[in-house]
Amino acid sequence: MQSGIKGNLTINGYGSSNGGHFEKVKLNGRGTLNGNIECVRFECNGSGTVHGHLKMQNAKISGSGKVKGAVEGNDFAIEGNGSVSDSVSLTNKMKISGSGKIGGSLKADEIKINGKVTIANDCEAETFKADGQFTIGGLLSADQIDIRLHGESSVTEMGGQSIKVKGKKGRFYHLFKAFFPVKLTVKLIEGDDLELESTKADVVRGNNVTIGPDCEIDLVEYQGTLHQDDNAKVREIKKI
Amino acid sequence: MSNELISKKDLLDLAGISYGQLYRWKRKNLIPEEWFVRKSTFTGQETFFPKDKVLERIDKIQSMKETLSLDELAERFSPSVKTETKITKDELLQRNIVSKAVLDLYLNENGNIEQFRFDELLEVFILDKLLTSGDISLDEGKMLLQVLKEARGSLSKSKYELLFIRKLGVTSCLLLSGAESIMVDQRSKVTVRLSVTSCVEELKTNL
Repeated sequence: MQSGIKGNLTINGYGSSNGGHFEKVKLNGRGTLNGNIECVRFECNGSGTVHGHLKMQNAKISGSGKVKGAVEGNDFAIEGNGSVSDSVSLTNKMKISGSGKIGGSLKADEIKINGKVTIANDCEAETFKADGQFTIGGLLSADQIDIRLHGESSVTEMGGQSIKVKGKKGRFYHLFKAFFPVKLTVKLIEGDDLELESTKADVVRGNNVTIGPDCEIDLVEYQGTLHQDDNAKVREIKKI
Repeated sequence: MSNELISKKDLLDLAGISYGQLYRWKRKNLIPEEWFVRKSTFTGQETFFPKDKVLERIDKIQSMKETLSLDELAERFSPSVKTETKITKDELLQRNIVSKAVLDLYLNENGNIEQFRFDELLEVFILDKLLTSGDISLDEGKMLLQVLKEARGSLSKSKYELLFIRKLGVTSCLLLSGAESIMVDQRSKVTVRLSVTSCVEELKTNL
């Protein structure tokens, strides 16, 4: 059931173990860990569950992985299907390709999303890059926010220095727009430089604001410059 | 302290900072989460801040950010403390953190200590602060040490406030956590009200 040299934990096939301190933890097949894990490297290939907190330097979930607690570490990659019941706090990079679900908040230096993500609370990073679909229940705050939309995404609030939201380009998508709405729904966007496309917002506040095509915004407040696309609906504009 | 609130927009205006900076400082925990007060206004939900506190903090950040990195600043502002902080008895006096008389009193009560840990430092620091300002008497100082000793370890983790109440010449010393306002009867007088958190901050700046 359980093999490996001292300090390493490997589960190949079907098995379970208790938590503890390890050098390397590798779950191949169907592994269950009951308890908190602390390790340098965590790898989950196949289907793995950790019933506890995971503290590591480097973690990768390929396949399907669940952590029923909080995750703390340097780097974390979810390739495939990963879920964390509590918060994730990283000192370096979070990469989600595939589908990710985080039950608390997400903090990292750099966040890169390709695919689909749900974050229940706040999401904080220095750079946030998304090429896909996401739902964030709280505040998305980052110095650089770079979003390319696919389908429908939503955030309660966005704040940062430079915020760019791009919709999908191309005639093909215009044709299917009615079936596949490409839209970002957000209550409040605040930042220094804003470039928005396909965004539905209650309030947009910034210094230099560009409202691109397909935007629906109730109120825009700006200090510096404002550009507005002919294809954008803005109900009220205020220069402060 | 006034409880006046300031809206985020006015704050940025008044302090001359940008949205980016404010959010960056928030991420670095330079401005505590609980200062972001959500209130609904006619344009929807807006964020407000306790005016005095946040302006003072921003002032501090701006004056110190030239010499310290944001992470170092965050460390300074956070109520939690590096446990490895140790400082010798002589250093305390040399660097004028506490006065000799107060230190002697403290050592009398606690036995001789060569190396001060942070929580011990904090105790002497608070004692020194109150004794030298004349707010409390020597006996009350001893009482204070007793109260602080009870809370040792948890003192710098939670937001405590220190209270001295005097009634008919009899003093009580209280340590409160999370009390916004207190009421006392007419004959009682609150002689000292001190935020332990700000003491921690002050002490860290001195170290």
